Amino acid sequence: MKWTNVKLFAFNFWKNATTPKTFYLLFFIFLLLTAYSAVSGISNYATQNDIRLEHQVKARQSWEANPDKHPHRMAHFGTFAFRTNPILGAFDSGLESFTGNTVFLEAHRQNSVNFSEATFSNGTLRFGELSLALLLQLVLPLILFFIGFSSVAADKQNGTLKMLLSQGATWKEILFGKSLGLFGISMLFFTPILLATIITLFVYGNQTENDFRWLRLVFIVLGYLAFLFVIASVTIIVSTRSNNPKNALLRLLGIWLLMVVLLPKSAQAMGNYWFPTPTKLAFQSAIEKEVTKKGDSHNPDDPHYNKLRDSVLAVHNVSEVTDLPFNYSGFVMREGEKITSTLYKKHYADLINIYRNQNDVTRYSSFINPFTAIKQLSMIMSATDFSSYIDFQKQADDYRYQLAQTMNELQMEYISPKRKSGSEGKVHVVGHEHWEEFPDFAHKPMSFSSSIKQVFPALLSIALWTIVAFVLLVFTSKNAKAV
Amino acid sequence: MIKYKLFLQQCIRSKEVWMSLLLITLLGIVAIIIGSKHLERQEQAIAEVSSYQEQHFDRQVSLHNEDLGLLLYYANFAYINNLDPLAGVSIGQADVNPTVKRITIKTFEAQKFDTDLVNPMNLQSGNLDLSFVIIYLFPLLVIVLTFNAVSEETETGTWRLVAIQAKSKLGFIISKLFIRFLLLLGVLLLLFGIAKTILGIPLNTSFFAMLALSVCYIIFWFTLSFFVINFKKTSGFNALLLLSVWLVLIILLPAGVNAYIASKYPVPEALSTAIAQRDGYHTKWDTDKLATIEKFYKHYPQFKKYGYPTDGFNWLWYYAMQQMGDDDSKSEQDALSKKIKLREQFGTQIAKFIPNIHLQLAFNQLAGTSMSQHMDYLQNTEMFHEKLRLFFYPKIFEGKHANTIDWNQFRPEHYETKTTVNFLKSLLPLVSASIFMILISIPNIRRL
Repeated sequence: MKWTNVKLFAFNFWKNATTPKTFYLLFFIFLLLTAYSAVSGISNYATQNDIRLEHQVKARQSWEANPDKHPHRMAHFGTFAFRTNPILGAFDSGLESFTGNTVFLEAHRQNSVNFSEATFSNGTLRFGELSLALLLQLVLPLILFFIGFSSVAADKQNGTLKMLLSQGATWKEILFGKSLGLFGISMLFFTPILLATIITLFVYGNQTENDFRWLRLVFIVLGYLAFLFVIASVTIIVSTRSNNPKNALLRLLGIWLLMVVLLPKSAQAMGNYWFPTPTKLAFQSAIEKEVTKKGDSHNPDDPHYNKLRDSVLAVHNVSEVTDLPFNYSGFVMREGEKITSTLYKKHYADLINIYRNQNDVTRYSSFINPFTAIKQLSMIMSATDFSSYIDFQKQADDYRYQLAQTMNELQMEYISPKRKSGSEGKVHVVGHEHWEEFPDFAHKPMSFSSSIKQVFPALLSIALWTIVAFVLLVFTSKNAKAV
Repeated sequence: MIKYKLFLQQCIRSKEVWMSLLLITLLGIVAIIIGSKHLERQEQAIAEVSSYQEQHFDRQVSLHNEDLGLLLYYANFAYINNLDPLAGVSIGQADVNPTVKRITIKTFEAQKFDTDLVNPMNLQSGNLDLSFVIIYLFPLLVIVLTFNAVSEETETGTWRLVAIQAKSKLGFIISKLFIRFLLLLGVLLLLFGIAKTILGIPLNTSFFAMLALSVCYIIFWFTLSFFVINFKKTSGFNALLLLSVWLVLIILLPAGVNAYIASKYPVPEALSTAIAQRDGYHTKWDTDKLATIEKFYKHYPQFKKYGYPTDGFNWLWYYAMQQMGDDDSKSEQDALSKKIKLREQFGTQIAKFIPNIHLQLAFNQLAGTSMSQHMDYLQNTEMFHEKLRLFFYPKIFEGKHANTIDWNQFRPEHYETKTTVNFLKSLLPLVSASIFMILISIPNIRRL
């Protein structure tokens, strides 16, 4: 295989493809789509984050505005955690629209994360949402198919191919040349999107935040480069294996339909079928049951708490809880929170495992579907994937736990041991300066190392697909027929 | 008659046609099974909630018989949005919105938007239900069956024969398309028949409206294809053009509309309401008790007889505070529902011009799985909540014991979604889109 010949074929392909006026029309439409997606992506990112930050501040202000009061009241006053969008969400919105963004954090209760875009949508949302990533994953492959479907098949039909081969060109040179040519054309479409993304990263979002945005972008770019190379080679390979352009086009469109629409949907449906999600009631009552078994702090005759009381009394050598050096009710609530949180966490982890099992069908389908591979990679590296959402939930719940326990400890320390129960009134209170001391919730961006762990299968499969594309090009060049 | 028989033979002798018809039938059946799974899941949830509720009250009464106020702090009551069997055809928003809600008599706004357990990946990928098969895949089948209906004649050289022998060239093309339409209609009817049996759909107007909508939708795609193939370009060109139209209509336009709605109509009101209801209730722990109770009596003058207990903690004051969570966040709630309506209106306006969006929304409406119907359900949940409050408030304020109440009357309550079938309004956008396609085909027909 001579490199100069490959280059020759690549440039020739590029020239042929970019000559017709329709190409410029197509390119122009794509640019318009790019501009529209970039603007709506950025504006959505900016408005959503403004809204959430503004409300985070509002919620905090009313938290700090609380007067001196009983800390348990503060534990129920609670606060909100608002999920902030990662900057790369402007490029790939991923699951953004389907994940809630607000959760109320209070003692004893793990509330649901509410108000996703999907809850306020009329059902059109299932058609998808335009983003720069969607253009790259769905539209650009189709454009490449349209540009490249006839590249070899037409040469075959009109006899050009025979001439080329008889003049000393090899199949390998032709196929690699044309693939590179088509790949080059894909760069023409890729560059504006990349530029838009780079500008977004420079201009928007908190620059000082340690979100590894550039490193993430590097992975995204490498992923898409590999993906586009795979698409370009597949186009050329299918074109070579078809005896006329029409067949080549139909096959390519069939591939697109299967891999973009049918396979991903079926994969997720299968996951959902094999690993059914429990109902909310079943989930909650399972926890409830275990809590009651372990110790119900609301039950005055609960053996667990009676035993606890007796041992605490014994240690401090007193006979009444009111004689203890700390507020016993705060102590009980601290214990109760510990028990319920641990149990909740356990059950919640099981639930997440069910979700993960459901999603794994999709995740591992990327080994048979490069479109899924790039979708996963792009979403994970943009931090808009499932695990980023779970990460937010975890942060919010950890904060909730901290809040509840801090308030319980304040109660133990500052509320008179004589006050057995109740949190009403202005007598047994804690100074309001403590409310400010407890830091506000801040959603930390998904750590880069966890993203890398998540992305591994998708990364591996993209790499494998690139190798498969090479091998197929070589294999096809050995078996190809000129007529 | 013999003409149609020959047309049919010509159409189905190709292997691809058979394959695609078979494939869509299979996918349709899978979709119906997925739909029935969804219905089953709700049935299971209803069964669970019914058996739970009985034990739940027994336990609560045994724990807090003497303290009804405390009991109702914990007690929750199920309110169920019964899914219509048609929801198995068009799951719509019934996956993201909970259909079984359990509420306490405390602040309603704090519970209104609580979500079910959902995997966001499932939501994003969307349901592979029959509505998906009809909206996404039937148009593709129309394209596969028709893109070369004229061009195959020109490409194999038979068009000239047709031109000489056929009475009317237009009649020839129309009969050719008609036979293909009948074929697809057969598949559609078969799938609706299967759906009817598996999902147990009654033969009511909603069912026939759905069928009529689907038929009109398929007709629209036939007219669109009719328009394209009359240009008498090559088969490849037709396929390319038709598929591009499919891509634009079914993927790009809706995706663009969604991105537009998301950035044009964000919903900060939801977050403001959440904070307002929290503050509305919780700040009352520190403010004047008398003021809170007076405000409560302004809302419910009938309870004035229970007086103004302001000494220490008491349940009247407590539930008055809880009530304030709802009452004091009224303006935020109104702003939120206004915004939701605005989004909905915009969506329906746009849908009139995009047949597939229109069909999806019309399907959801008929199946009772649309957003507006969910909002209706939430509104009725609020009324259910109010009913509970009015029942329990006096009993709590009087300090009644829990065992004086007949708890058996509190079985899970069911809500039936109202669906309105307006044939004219729902079919009009599809019919006018088809007529539009035929009208713009006229210049080409003349040149046949």
